Amino acid sequence: MKTIYKLATLTLMMLAASLYGFSQKPPKASGPENLERGIIGPVTSNGSWSGYSTLALIPGAGLIPVTNTNTVLYIGFTAGAEADISNMVLYTTPRGSSTISTVTPITLGGISNPSIDLASATVCPIIEISAVNPCIVRLDPVKLTLSALSDYYFVVYFTASDPNNSAIGLTDPSFGQSSLRGTYITGNETTLGVGGSIPSSLSFAGQPYNLMYVMND
Amino acid sequence: MNTFNKLATCALMMLVLAASAFAQAPGPETTLANLTEGQGTIASSGNPQWDGYSELVLIPGASLMGATSTSTALYIGFTGGTEADIGNMVLYSTLRGNDAVIKATKVTLSGSSDPSIDLTSASVCPNGAPTATTPCIIRLDTVKAALSTLDDYYFVVYFTLDTNNEKIVGVGQSVEPGALSGFYLYGDQTRIGAKGAIATNENTDQPAFFLAYVANE
Repeated sequence: MKTIYKLATLTLMMLAASLYGFSQKPPKASGPENLERGIIGPVTSNGSWSGYSTLALIPGAGLIPVTNTNTVLYIGFTAGAEADISNMVLYTTPRGSSTISTVTPITLGGISNPSIDLASATVCPIIEISAVNPCIVRLDPVKLTLSALSDYYFVVYFTASDPNNSAIGLTDPSFGQSSLRGTYITGNETTLGVGGSIPSSLSFAGQPYNLMYVMND
Repeated sequence: MNTFNKLATCALMMLVLAASAFAQAPGPETTLANLTEGQGTIASSGNPQWDGYSELVLIPGASLMGATSTSTALYIGFTGGTEADIGNMVLYSTLRGNDAVIKATKVTLSGSSDPSIDLTSASVCPNGAPTATTPCIIRLDTVKAALSTLDDYYFVVYFTLDTNNEKIVGVGQSVEPGALSGFYLYGDQTRIGAKGAIATNENTDQPAFFLAYVANE
C-alpha cells in the first residue's frame, strides 16, 4: 500500500510540474488586425500636396468587431524624397454628425509635425518608392478604442510653400471597396476644436489619399 | 510522510475524477467564419469562354476580418457547364499593396491540383445542374496556412485548353463582390515563382468569377 501512496505522490508532483510548465508558455502571438477594411488593390500616385490637408473618414459603421485598445494608422507615399507634415489629428464625431466631440493628436516618432525621410531605407524598405512600391508608414499607436457609435476623421496638413511637399506623391486607391473615405482641401484643417465642424462643403464619396490602413497594432 | 502520501493519493484521485468529468463535456466546436467578405449574390453574366484562361483573384490582407484561423478554405462556384478541367491552382502571397510574389502555395481539390470536376454529379453539385439559381459551390481542400493582414493573396486557377471549359460558367460577376476582385488572362498564370510578379490587373476593379468565399474551414 505504501508503494501505491508513493507512486501516487510522484505522479501528482510530475503532473503539477508539467502543468506549471504549460502555464509558462506565452499565448499564441497574433499579428495586427484590421479595424476597418483598408485600401484594396493597386494604387496610383497623386502629387503636389504643399499647403493641402487630406481628410480621411473612418466610419464607425465600418468597424470590424476586433477588440482593440490601440488604434494604428498607416499612411502611404508613392513619390518624393521628404514629406513635411505640419500637423496630424484625429477628430471624433457622433456617428453621421460633423460636430467634433474629441480631438486626438496623432504623432510619428512622438511628434505631430514630422518630416518623413522617404529616401531612407529604414523608413521605406523598397527604394525607390512608386505606385507599385508604395512606402507605407506606420504612425504611433493611439490609445483609443474606436467605437461603432462614432465616426473618425484623420487629417494631415502638409506644410505650405514647401518644395519637398510639391514633389511628394500620396497613394490614390484604384479600387472602390475600402470602408475608408476621403477628400482634401487647401489650408490647415487640423486646428478645429471640440464643437467645431468638419467643413460641410467636403464630399467623402471617394477613397482617401494617404491613409491606407486602420489596425490594432 | 505517510499522511502526506495519503493526502497526495487523495488529491490525485480527485484530479482524475475531475479530469474524467471534463472529458465527458463536448469540446468547443470550430465555427465557420468568413475571413474576408465573399460574394453577396450569385450571377452568371460576363463570363468569357474559359478554355486556356487563368483567373486571378485578389484576397486583400486589408480586408481580413479578424477571425482567428490557422487554415484557409477557398470556395469556387459554377453556374453552368458539365465538367471543369483545371490545369493547376495556386495561392500566391505578396506584400500588402505589392505585386512581387513571395510565396506560392499549392491549392488542391481532393488532393489534386489539376482536378476534373464533374458538375453533373449529385455528389459534387447536390442542387443539380449548376445554374445562376442553383449554383454549385465547391469547397477546395483546406490550405494549412493563416492569412496575414500584412500580405495580399492571389488565388489563381488555370482552366485547361479543352472543349469542356468552353462551356463552364463562374458565379460572377456579382454586383456585391464583397472584398474580392478578379481578372483573367490567357495562358497559365499559375507558374509564377517567388520573386516573380503578378501580372497587371488591367481589368481593374472587377468582381471575381469563380472564387466565391474565403473562410476558415
